Amino acid sequence: MERITELMTSQSTISNLNQQLNQLSSTENELSTGLSINQPSDNPYGASLAIQLNGQLSALGSYTGNISDGTAWTSQADSSLMDISDQVQTVQELVVQAANGTSTPAELSADATEVNQLIAGIKQDANAQYDGQYIFSGTDTTTAPYQAGSNDAYQGNSGAVNRTIGPGGTTVQVNTNISQLLGSGQPAGDSLLLNTLRNISQDMQAGNTASLGNDLTSLHSNMATLGQMQANVGSIQDQLQLASTRIENLQTEVQTQLGSTEDVNMAQAMTQYSTEQASYNAALQASASVLQTDSLANFLTG
Amino acid sequence: MPISTFMGLQTALSGLEANQEGIQTTSNNIANASTPGYTEETAVMTEDYPLSLPGGMQLGTGVDVASITRASDEYLNNSYRAQNAAASYASTQSTTLNQVQSDLGEPSGTGISSQLASFWSAWNDLANDPTSQAARQTVVDDGTTLAGGLNSLSDQLTAVQSQVAQQYADLTGTGGELQSYANQIATLNGEIAQAQGSGANANQLEDQRDQAINNLSSLGTVSYTDLGGGQLTLDFGGDATPLVSGTTVNWPPTVTSASGGELGALISLSGPGGQIDSYLTDLNNVANALVSTVNTLSPGTPFFNPADTTAANIAVAATASTIQTTTTGNPGANDVALAIANLSGGQADQSYAAFVAQVGNDAQTAQNGQQTSQALLTSISSQVQSVSGVSLDQEMTNLLTYQQGYEASAKVMTAMQNMLNTLITQVGAGL
Repeated sequence: MERITELMTSQSTISNLNQQLNQLSSTENELSTGLSINQPSDNPYGASLAIQLNGQLSALGSYTGNISDGTAWTSQADSSLMDISDQVQTVQELVVQAANGTSTPAELSADATEVNQLIAGIKQDANAQYDGQYIFSGTDTTTAPYQAGSNDAYQGNSGAVNRTIGPGGTTVQVNTNISQLLGSGQPAGDSLLLNTLRNISQDMQAGNTASLGNDLTSLHSNMATLGQMQANVGSIQDQLQLASTRIENLQTEVQTQLGSTEDVNMAQAMTQYSTEQASYNAALQASASVLQTDSLANFLTG
Repeated sequence: MPISTFMGLQTALSGLEANQEGIQTTSNNIANASTPGYTEETAVMTEDYPLSLPGGMQLGTGVDVASITRASDEYLNNSYRAQNAAASYASTQSTTLNQVQSDLGEPSGTGISSQLASFWSAWNDLANDPTSQAARQTVVDDGTTLAGGLNSLSDQLTAVQSQVAQQYADLTGTGGELQSYANQIATLNGEIAQAQGSGANANQLEDQRDQAINNLSSLGTVSYTDLGGGQLTLDFGGDATPLVSGTTVNWPPTVTSASGGELGALISLSGPGGQIDSYLTDLNNVANALVSTVNTLSPGTPFFNPADTTAANIAVAATASTIQTTTTGNPGANDVALAIANLSGGQADQSYAAFVAQVGNDAQTAQNGQQTSQALLTSISSQVQSVSGVSLDQEMTNLLTYQQGYEASAKVMTAMQNMLNTLITQVGAGL
């Protein structure tokens, strides 16, 4: 039988109580932070996973920001193109009317003036801005694509403005090259919208109704380009919408994974805490009475 | 053959004396019941040399206290010292590595990982709005914060390293703990040899020497050879030259990371190529990856100063006006900003996560080692106490035995006195 000495009892009591208190304080730490990983050593793999998942969450947050920024660009583009389309419709009606040959020169001249005003309106629509950036200037976003007045030359470039919308560097081009629709006017002779509209205005002013037929054909071809451009913007918006949904799903997925990696299971931790607390209390009580136990000395008399 | 008339008195006297020594030993045990390093002593009583009588009879002549022995078990003491060295090694490792990992501040919203995330996200915001001065400034600010975070983490690791090195220097320096224990043991060797040479009891000195060896074992592994005559040779930390041989201290000893104990742990942490060194290398790799990946993509002024590629000196060289978001020169183009934002989750992030996992693994191993070795130490210490400690119940029982023995011997003396009284007053009355 092992010989038990007083010092043994007190040493093992201290060591056991310490151990229990350590465990209790670690569980309490988990409960108060709500995290099961408070230090890398709590779960080294989990800690590094949590760091990576947090990085992914931050990146996904950025993609969400990029998508809403891209959506704002394309909405602005959509509404500008819609405006341009309305004005081109008006020009078309004026041309059809003028081509009938029933209008007086004064009426034609008034029509020409209206067409000029519509040209100015279309150029103004093309100069739309989002957040201080010209959305139709390619990457030359600080320069307005068209100048007011008679200069119809495109001032921007054909650069693409891209937004990253998902992991792995998936990008989408959010700007539209409006010079493919509007062109650079009569001096360029590119048969694009501004060139056509200037011809129409000129022909109306000159009463040259015979040429208006050709102009109308050109205008129809320009309108087809405009329609394509609008469809293209719509499809970018769809793409952004889809990406947004996908990012939301990914966020939920990563969040769930992160939660299961670093969050504490509250029910389990609470139960563990109560158990540990109860056993610590019991240990304290037992220790107190063991350490107070009398030795033989208390029972010997005289 | 007649025996001396007074012989019985002498026998009773030896009983009185022996029991008195027994009571004194018990009293000393009780007084030292909680003295660290005290070893329970026992008065070993033997029968006195008997008186031979004709006819082959032997007549006992009383009792003698042959020696006062220490209840010491060398095997257990050595296991205790080995485990003490292991526990001390693990506890030093665990304390230091805990400090390192709390310097990291991971995983939380304050560590380098979240600074990296903010940095990449600032580039992303700049990609959305390449002409914005505010976005450029944010990129520079977040970059500066990140570089500063790496600088200060590197400084903290270096500080831990030099603090550990200082601790080692203090313990092993002249007049440090190591030398003072070695001197104590050498001195005690001499004193014990002298005491034993003159036939005296050296229990108290041996207790002191055992305690000094115990203390030494927390600094490194110890082993010793008994030279006889109360002297011993003490090897420390696996060094080929003994630290103490007899009364000589061979100073200074060679201590390596294999020496175990606190000193071994301190060397393995702070020494060249030690754990903290390897953490600094890991952190430098993160800084280097950051500088090279970001700078490769930045046209014009490099974003980070290309000459400073360690965690200690990484610094942002770019300003809000020198940052270029594109290689084309168009103000709204964002190809560079997009490419840099896409570095998120790349080499720098991965190296950093791996670094954190490495520190976490090491700290976890050290913590587990500490718990295990501490539990073993407690258990061995308890066994040592079981053998060498003082049990009050036992002492009280001994006290009772000696007390009764003393009283009985005194009673014998009274009987002898009465007997002699009878002899002298009755028989010799007429003389």
